[in-house]
Amino acid sequence: MGRGGLSVFVAFIVGAIAIVSLLLGDNPALFGAGAGSEELARRLTLPGDVLLRLVVIVIALSVVIGIVNLLYVHIGRLARGKFYSAVLLASFAVTIAWTVLNKGDASLLEAVQVPIESALAALLFPSLALGGARVMQKRADVWGLLFVAVVLIVLLGSLPLAELAPVQAFSDWLMAVPVNAGARAILLGIALGAAVAGVRALLGQDRAYRG
Amino acid sequence: MDDTTVQVYSVLFIAITVVLVVTARYFQARRGRRMQRQLAGMDQIPQWLMQSIETGKPLHLAFGGAGVGGDNTPAALAAAEFFHHVIQNADASDMPPLVTMSAPATLPLGQGALRRAWRKGNTLSRAQWTPPDLAYAGAVSASVADDEPAAHIMAGSFGAELALMLDSADRRGQPSLAVSDRLDGGAVAYALADHALIGEELFAAPSAISTDEGGRADAAALDVWRGLIILGAAVLLLLEFSKQLPLLSWQLALGAAAVLIALGLIFSRRR
Repeated sequence: MGRGGLSVFVAFIVGAIAIVSLLLGDNPALFGAGAGSEELARRLTLPGDVLLRLVVIVIALSVVIGIVNLLYVHIGRLARGKFYSAVLLASFAVTIAWTVLNKGDASLLEAVQVPIESALAALLFPSLALGGARVMQKRADVWGLLFVAVVLIVLLGSLPLAELAPVQAFSDWLMAVPVNAGARAILLGIALGAAVAGVRALLGQDRAYRG
Repeated sequence: MDDTTVQVYSVLFIAITVVLVVTARYFQARRGRRMQRQLAGMDQIPQWLMQSIETGKPLHLAFGGAGVGGDNTPAALAAAEFFHHVIQNADASDMPPLVTMSAPATLPLGQGALRRAWRKGNTLSRAQWTPPDLAYAGAVSASVADDEPAAHIMAGSFGAELALMLDSADRRGQPSLAVSDRLDGGAVAYALADHALIGEELFAAPSAISTDEGGRADAAALDVWRGLIILGAAVLLLLEFSKQLPLLSWQLALGAAAVLIALGLIFSRRR
């Protein structure tokens, strides 16, 4: 068995164990009212728990890999004379030193990171408003028109003006019925896609395993 | 609905999906290439690849927050498959694509896609991780100003922060294609991207730009599932309107689904 074959085999075994454990474990009612059903359900739960804990450890380790990658990329950029990378590396060093010297004090994070993220969040508004205005440029069709009309109705409907009560009622109906139905349909489609992608991975057909 | 019923339905759902995928792969392998539905923007990707090759500018491929190990693992896997084909087709360019992500567990996935598909090597610094959400959007907007990508393909998990990245691309005149497995990201993509895919099209996208038969089979299985659900919803609606809903049982639904799939297969063979 080659390296690719071994990966596929391991992926299938681990995937099958995890799916059986997560689907069938932790519910004795599935195995009847017999004396051994609780023990069987408990034993089925165990592999899933172990695998999920392993996932948590791997994700925690991947944060370290991410930080190493960030430093590697920005040291490379600094060597090419990129000023912002120097700022990032200096911020990284100062934050680490601050946290170590002040025994986990997060005031630097609160004083710098939070305001900057808030400012970026505020920038989202003009970006979105501009995007809404540009929709008709990019999609000059009936769907683009419908998109803009719905955005306008919902925005008008959210204004606290008594004169706009009919618009508010229409906006509420839009959100409750067509928008809700559309959102559910999209989520259903995504769930189906996720299931097919999951089965593909389970069957060892994903490229990450095939090499 | 109690836990046992949910579990039984879940097992049934997964079993049907496995059967559909395996059957679709079997028929795809026997019949070879077949028609597939058109996805928005897919015809633009070869042009962007050509631009990238001619100008020496890289493509920017973004996973967003799609991360292995979380709820959006399938989105990360689908995006990795999609990017693999894009990178493979960009192989004639001098610059390897820039792959960014905000979930650190996706870094090996992005790195793996680059390593496998880009044969010229030197890709270690081309997969870049940045902390999530707004920090990611800010960092990507800044770093693409340096790299000046020929185009942006954003496929994965994005929220409203996608607006900052798409706006930045738009201001620089860089074309974009975006798709998110999140509703807010999908809405932003529709409004701001030059081309937007919606919902499950993320999972069908890899097969739209490749000749991979397995991928086409998976897209076909997805379409069959969609068709069954639309048909099921329509039948439920009709039964509800005609006050005949109590007639429905899961055995009847399963039998009807089996008959429909069999009819579909017969029809498909004859065509």
